[in-house]
Amino acid sequence: MKTLLIGEYREGKLLDSTYELIGFAGQMGADTALFLVGSEGQLPAYDGALYLADTAVAGEYNPDLHKLLVLEAVQRENPDYIVFLHSSYGWDLAPRVAAALQVAQVSEVIGTRDGGFEVGCCNGKMRRSVKPATGKAVLTIQAGAFLGVRPGGSPKVTRLSNVSAAGVEFVGYEPAEAKGVDLAKAEVIVSAGRGVGKKDNVQVIAALAKALGGELGASRPVVDAEWVAHDHQVGTTGQTVAPKLYVACGISGAIQHLAGMKKSDFILAINKDKDAPIGEVADVLVVADLMQFVPALTAQLQK
Amino acid sequence: MLIVVCIKQVPDTTRVQIDPVTNTLIRDGIPFIVNPYDTHALEAALQLKDRFGFRVAAISMGPPNAEATLRKALSLGVDKAVLLSDRVFGGADTLATSNVLTRAIELLNLQEEVGLVLCGKQTIDGDTAQVGPGIATRLGYTQLTLVDRIEQVDSLRKRIRVRRKLEGRHEIVEAPFPAMITVVRELNQPRYPTVPMRLDSVDAEVAVWSNEMLKLDVASIGLKGSPTWVSKIFSPQREKGEIVGDGLNDPLATANLLIDKLLSKDLLAI
Repeated sequence: MKTLLIGEYREGKLLDSTYELIGFAGQMGADTALFLVGSEGQLPAYDGALYLADTAVAGEYNPDLHKLLVLEAVQRENPDYIVFLHSSYGWDLAPRVAAALQVAQVSEVIGTRDGGFEVGCCNGKMRRSVKPATGKAVLTIQAGAFLGVRPGGSPKVTRLSNVSAAGVEFVGYEPAEAKGVDLAKAEVIVSAGRGVGKKDNVQVIAALAKALGGELGASRPVVDAEWVAHDHQVGTTGQTVAPKLYVACGISGAIQHLAGMKKSDFILAINKDKDAPIGEVADVLVVADLMQFVPALTAQLQK
Repeated sequence: MLIVVCIKQVPDTTRVQIDPVTNTLIRDGIPFIVNPYDTHALEAALQLKDRFGFRVAAISMGPPNAEATLRKALSLGVDKAVLLSDRVFGGADTLATSNVLTRAIELLNLQEEVGLVLCGKQTIDGDTAQVGPGIATRLGYTQLTLVDRIEQVDSLRKRIRVRRKLEGRHEIVEAPFPAMITVVRELNQPRYPTVPMRLDSVDAEVAVWSNEMLKLDVASIGLKGSPTWVSKIFSPQREKGEIVGDGLNDPLATANLLIDKLLSKDLLAI
């Protein structure tokens, strides 16, 4: 079995997540070849075949051009799986490649089992095992789902000829808007989930955050309901965080949320439902009614 | 110029529960909603209609009861609604779904030139984010994903400039019509239907197109046309975290136990 792994550069730097692709292929027991649109000056610690196109010519992202470059590598390598990260890059490029090759795609893979790929569904409450039935398939893997592996060594580089492609015209980059809170820097985050019940109850969670010297976070449904501002959102569509202490209040644990906080050093979940998926990543679980327990905890902390 | 919005009826996944005995989804009584991301695509189309006078068509593939989703779109101001419904479309994965939507857009384009196709960035039930791009490739349209702002529309030159939401930054890109755009929530605030429009929508026509109309090869649609197989759906298996105290019956004692625990892990700044 052979995989063509589509790594990523961002703002001129090779992303560490590229090594997660190598880890994924290792877990599948597959041979690897790597594809990058990057620069000679910064090659990965990898000893296999590398198909390289130059960012200076191909741009950091020119979708039509990058698609053609990937297809060229696919033609030379004839892989069983073409694997992307489920980042904005893979999000946009993977389905283009799948459609061009007329093959199946499986998005946001979080595990492998019995020859199938595990993906989340229904807001992470359930998982599906999906098998592609086409000879080749395109996969995207969830960031953080597979451990990164650095094989070391120097890659055997094949330079890809640049073909030209018209279509989307790159105009420029803009920095993200300044965020009101930078959760990435917080040592303690206390997040409110749907389980808080209503907007007024958010202040109870905010009070606990304050008592613990931390910041308030939130899950997607809470932000969607406008109980908490979007800059507090933790998860793949919000911020990815790894504080010393993460307290999840009334958060059931959608995969997208778990992906955004599971690297926290210590996770405390406070939830009515002892079987909620958040228990999967929590170090400690308190089964309680939030509105009874959280004020009691806050009061005891303030003593 | 016509703008086509693809919308999907999905179960409200925030209310989906798992049967603790059978470990399967309890589907009874789960309300259906319009996929939340699609409501932002719809709003974007309606804003373009307000500004440039484009016409808007909403299309949806689904069972007959997905008509409710399209009626909601009509109540918000779309000019045309088409339900793509046929038993042979059932069991479709993203590829087979893309084939059906693509053909429907081709047919709409015969009636009125399509300039833009708008989709939500993903659905909340499948989460694959493949259908929009699948349509774009099949139609040969320019693909613009993860759009959080429409910067400029030049209806004469038929070009659009959008901002895409990436990790920690945005990308501004420009592309010619026809283009397929997938949108994120930050793009806009969806409107609510007015009472008169809601009343009007009750009698408005939702066209139903079956495969008799689309004439697609049955090998390319529904279950047969789907190259991914879901072998099973299951509940995540996990090692549970340690449960501390009895928070339901004795919150105070549990709070104290928990504080001891956090202190022992050096997690409280004292």
